[in-house]
Amino acid sequence: MAEIILKNITKEYENGFQAVKNIDLEIKDNEFVILVGPSGCGKSTTLRMIAGLEDISDGDLYLDGKRINDVSPQDRDIAMVFQNYALYPHMTVYQNIAYSLKIKKVPKDEIDRRVKEVAASLGLTDLLDRRPGQLSGGQKQRVAMGRAIIRHPKAFLMDEPLSNLDAKLRGQMRVEIADLYQRLNTTFIYVTHDQTEAMTLGTKIVVMKDGEIQQIDSPTNLFNYPVNKFVAGFIGTPTMNFFDAECLEENGELYLKTADGKIVLTPEKQQKLREGNWVGKKVTGGIRPEHVRICSEEETAFKGNVSVFELLGSNAIIYVQCGEERIVINTDETAQQEHGKELFLNVKEEKLHIFDPESERTITN
Amino acid sequence: MNTRYSDNRPLPLRILALLGKILILGSASIFTAFPFIWMIVSSLKTKADILNTDIFFPTEPQWNNITSILFNSPIPRYIFNSAWVSLVIVALQIISGAMLAYALVFLKFRTNKILFAVVMATYMLPVAATYIPSYIILADWKMLDSFRGLIISSTVSIFGIFLLRQGFMQIPKGLVEAARMDGASHWRALWEVVAPMTKASFITFGLMNFISTYNNYMWPSLITKSSEYFLVSQGLRAFFIRDGAYGTEWALVMAASAVVVVPLLVLFAFTQKWFINGIGGETGIKG
Repeated sequence: MAEIILKNITKEYENGFQAVKNIDLEIKDNEFVILVGPSGCGKSTTLRMIAGLEDISDGDLYLDGKRINDVSPQDRDIAMVFQNYALYPHMTVYQNIAYSLKIKKVPKDEIDRRVKEVAASLGLTDLLDRRPGQLSGGQKQRVAMGRAIIRHPKAFLMDEPLSNLDAKLRGQMRVEIADLYQRLNTTFIYVTHDQTEAMTLGTKIVVMKDGEIQQIDSPTNLFNYPVNKFVAGFIGTPTMNFFDAECLEENGELYLKTADGKIVLTPEKQQKLREGNWVGKKVTGGIRPEHVRICSEEETAFKGNVSVFELLGSNAIIYVQCGEERIVINTDETAQQEHGKELFLNVKEEKLHIFDPESERTITN
Repeated sequence: MNTRYSDNRPLPLRILALLGKILILGSASIFTAFPFIWMIVSSLKTKADILNTDIFFPTEPQWNNITSILFNSPIPRYIFNSAWVSLVIVALQIISGAMLAYALVFLKFRTNKILFAVVMATYMLPVAATYIPSYIILADWKMLDSFRGLIISSTVSIFGIFLLRQGFMQIPKGLVEAARMDGASHWRALWEVVAPMTKASFITFGLMNFISTYNNYMWPSLITKSSEYFLVSQGLRAFFIRDGAYGTEWALVMAASAVVVVPLLVLFAFTQKWFINGIGGETGIKG
């Protein structure tokens, strides 16, 4: 149970490189916070600073109201699960899980009771005498979690804990982590570059890029109301389609002129574009693949030819080459689309995103 | 046949090659072992037998040479001195070496690389160059001619720091970080996580330095005068010149030398595997 606050936190290396730039983040008790972003965005560095494994160059870090910049990791009462598990190879599973309690000088019979309890909850009871070398990836992952759980720490930090597992196991472990969060009722901070993990696990997602926070929001809000083109493109699979357009007026109504036609705009979007003086200017449009619709030739915004058709079972992904741009469609219509077939596309107006082409910030949400 | 490659040469050639190998390796072994064997054999001879080059084995084994060394000479005392001084020195060297190697490998601080460079630079320094400053320091501390002086002046082994550092570098940093997150201090992380995983480096280092300290001659003979503080090499030398050049009791000198080597042979018998590992550069950690 912990409240963690990062105030103007910066991490600068000796060579002057800033891995994390002046970030502010408030993590409330019992939140499941996900730090997500592409490689090198500073998410792991941020986590390691919270853990105490990395010095903080500037700013303040608070744990339950107490500044802990200079508190060593052993005294922070925070547990961490590492990407490569970091199990002690010379100790058995039992000793690995019990190690933190042994350090705290917890009585032997209590250690024994707690280890067995944790092992049972993670399905490790039969493996307690084994060494990490004799375990599979999924089992190692469970031991690593057991080692963290047994301490009843103030917060759990997880650094890409599932990235070394195969896809099936990853899905399974993701559910187990979600279940663990419900049971333990404590603060989780989780680093990943996998946005599926981010969307399914987090109660609050922090999207980072180049050491800066782009957006902090709930999974739904991130998906529906991204603040900029980067967040819009990073969250959601397949990624959002972006296209160039021009905001024009006809009979008092604003619309977007696209390469092959036009997109009608909702009154709210029109109002925002007017307020921002965007009439007559170039903008960047964005639409998620599930919000692209196949339409008639008259109302088309894009026309192109099917280049790839992927049937995924209950839905299908269609890649349509429209001149230089490629528009991806995620549709429930699973009927096979012939390669090269001409398609006319438009978007669901209410789901359209419009960005400033220069600053890449969202104009309308 | 479980050979890794087939030899297509004709049989006589193969036999010849084998004989050649046996001859070369055999003679090299004899050359290496001969002085040692000669010492052992001579320790059971009379002085006359030793000086007579026509006989190799003793005409009649003189067991009393050995018993008189064991019971009527200061040699056992020197062996004891050497053994326990070496033990204390090696223990201190392991502790200091492991601490410094841990800091060099696992701690981040500005002068890390410079520190390592300085440490290695002192390794390049000829040992003799440090004798005079060390001697003066020990004299200032009033530690000349004492075990304390011998021990204090050898608490740090640069070779050991280097060897342990190489071993520690094989360990993923994440393990030490995990230990720190589990609540372990650096001290605990070193001895409970890092050391058990680099056992081979520790044992190799311990054995090699024990032997070199046990046999050390130059430095102990510079700082100790009283025979009660002699280590074996000094002791043997004193024993050797005891009665002047003409009176040398060769048989007893040989017996003393043989007795002095025994503890090392016993040690070697039990720890062969680690020596070979250490020399072969294996870490002993199976992947």
